[in-house]
Amino acid sequence: MNIDFGSELEAFRQEVADFLDTAPTPQIREAGLKTTSVFAPFETTMAWHRILHARGWSAPAWPREYGGTGWSVEQRYIFSEEYSKRRLPPLLPNGLQMVGPLLMQLGMPEQKARYLPGILSGDDYWTQGYSEPNSGSDLASLSCAAVADGDDYVINGQKIWTTLAYKANRMFMLVRTSKEGRKQQGITFLLLERTDFPGMTIRPITGLDGTQELCEVFFDNVRVPKSGRVGEENDGWNVSKALLKFERGGSASSPSMYAKLAMIRAAAAATPSPHGGTLADDPVMQRDLGELEAEIAAFAAFEKLIISRYPSVANDPATPSINKISSSELAQRVSVLMTKVAGLQALPLQVDARKVGSATAPLGNDFELIAMPYYLNSRATTIYAGSNEIQRDLIARALFTR
Amino acid sequence: MDFTYTSEQEMLRDSLGKLLAQAYGFDARQKFVRSSDSRCEAVWRQFGQMGLLALPFAESQGGIGGSFSDLVAIGELLGRYLVVEPYVSSILLGGSALSLSDATADQALLRDVVAGDVEVALAHEEAHGIGPVERMTCTLRAVDDGLRLDGTKLLVLGGGHAGTLIVSARQADRLALVRVDPAQPGVTVTGYRTIDGRHAATVRFEGVRLSAAGLLLDDAEDRLDAVLRRALLCLSAEAVGAMQALLEASAGYAATRKQFGVPINSFQAVAHRLADMKIAYSKARALLLYTTALLEAGEGGARDVSLLKAQVSRLGRIVGESAVQVHGGIGMTDELSIGHYLKRILSIESMFGNTDYHLRRVGAAAS
Repeated sequence: MNIDFGSELEAFRQEVADFLDTAPTPQIREAGLKTTSVFAPFETTMAWHRILHARGWSAPAWPREYGGTGWSVEQRYIFSEEYSKRRLPPLLPNGLQMVGPLLMQLGMPEQKARYLPGILSGDDYWTQGYSEPNSGSDLASLSCAAVADGDDYVINGQKIWTTLAYKANRMFMLVRTSKEGRKQQGITFLLLERTDFPGMTIRPITGLDGTQELCEVFFDNVRVPKSGRVGEENDGWNVSKALLKFERGGSASSPSMYAKLAMIRAAAAATPSPHGGTLADDPVMQRDLGELEAEIAAFAAFEKLIISRYPSVANDPATPSINKISSSELAQRVSVLMTKVAGLQALPLQVDARKVGSATAPLGNDFELIAMPYYLNSRATTIYAGSNEIQRDLIARALFTR
Repeated sequence: MDFTYTSEQEMLRDSLGKLLAQAYGFDARQKFVRSSDSRCEAVWRQFGQMGLLALPFAESQGGIGGSFSDLVAIGELLGRYLVVEPYVSSILLGGSALSLSDATADQALLRDVVAGDVEVALAHEEAHGIGPVERMTCTLRAVDDGLRLDGTKLLVLGGGHAGTLIVSARQADRLALVRVDPAQPGVTVTGYRTIDGRHAATVRFEGVRLSAAGLLLDDAEDRLDAVLRRALLCLSAEAVGAMQALLEASAGYAATRKQFGVPINSFQAVAHRLADMKIAYSKARALLLYTTALLEAGEGGARDVSLLKAQVSRLGRIVGESAVQVHGGIGMTDELSIGHYLKRILSIESMFGNTDYHLRRVGAAAS
């Protein structure tokens, strides 16, 4: 057992800190302060992605052969800590954490060559087309159909919760190519080189937080080349599982939880309490803060076991689900305390002031500006990426089938 | 013991329910919320004809002297239909604070409020929320030719549309209520929309000069508390009405939404969540009716209202958050009413003392 990062890593930490202190523009910092979702403000965050890429740091978790940093898990953790501490906008996950790693494992050489560079550089944004109106938790029941026709597939149907589809230039999706056999067996994984193929219609959906992040995409006889298929026809379900495998070893989210805890502490120290002094002096608030820190600490410890590949955790089939449930429910707890501290100042609806570069000044401070949208947005975390009900089923199944 | 509404109250609920079902369906409500108007004139006039605007005021003031249970009877429906009319802001808060003054000019203004012609707002909450007089930062001081008001008020409901503000301020160690024209020099009103579709404002007073006639009451703490208690009772009823709507919508959705070939209510995880929502709603409504009966009998006080407000907020949050979860992705959209109910419950939880504040009041002293 050894918790020490080692002194040679201090030089690395300093190198990271120096860059993160100087490279982000004021606008990028503003985008970070105004991030209220997994999906940070789009244009500014993509610009920041390109800056990080120029430094070679856009994909800390990618292997060096694909343009990643080749960093050790300790280095990645340090990077994540320094990044979160400065509240910089997190890079959008779809390319770097989802379709990119999937292509590395299963893509054809020409697909890797064609698509990985744009993901790494931040020139491309990929939207994810999995869910459908009637296929959420029961994803394998999806019905958006692709019919082979010469060198093409012709797609008809609908996808929903395709995050930021109207900003995307590419899309990865699951389509039904067969109705034979088990429902999982007739699914194919497709890469769409464009999001403006004739017959594609994208509609943004306004969310509870007043922003347009959710979307739906309609396909009316959309003809796409077969060369976008990953894996074999009708083997898309297994292809998409490879993505889950990568997510297990994905990035740490506890540093950003600690950063939010620090924000809450600072805000509490600046807010008067109805019982005198500030909220930070208030024993009830102190208990809330203590409880939240204890929850974050337990999660952070679990996350460290995951990334250090501690055997009984790394090999446990329940680990991805435990991780997903813990991080999502923790994000919600963080957001609840944020709204409590922001109090009345969390109630104004400030959609304009939240935009990067907005001319509308917020009514309160930055913390009060984002507390409620962060709370509302985080209600989705227990729904998406396999609802927590489904994840609990998976944990139970792993427990009982050993 | 009888906790049922009277036949008159049932009749009132029936006609209000019909009006709201016809004029305040969710789509019509959303359309109205997107306008800049503070009240839907046709609905507001109907409220007047039904006696709702006169309800809380004494007959001597042109009111009809309604009871606590009258208020709860309509409050549940206001919550159920997500009504954004300025009922709480102009009638239960602003109008009721105004009614504490006997002065002729104030009584004349009150008659206009009850007639539905003008709105008044109460500016009371500050950065620390509410609390004892000594914590108030808004101050009223005597100056040579009158009074001077300074300070900042948050979440002044209806503050951007009110022709008159009733403002609480600390004068020496007492809570005074003053009447302020928002157009007066030194008054800055920053209006905004709340997450639950209401109009509110931050109002700053800098050296605002008032004549002696602007002072409504110079020792108003107890009487203002009574006004707030009645508003909190109605807000609690609104939250309970919202909870009922959420429970019904979620149970209905879970019975029709199919995944894995069966309705999702056949999954125990979902069914038990719905059962917990039902438990929460049942307890909240029971406490609402019981507290109302206590107040009606003259046996309830600040402590009972604090307990109700805290408990309804806690249980309401459970129901609201569960409703979003049961609905899944579609529950995260602005296009469905679910999130709007949750946001209403969250707003009610935050205003006039959050759950911690009220639970501490309850916990600090036995009844």
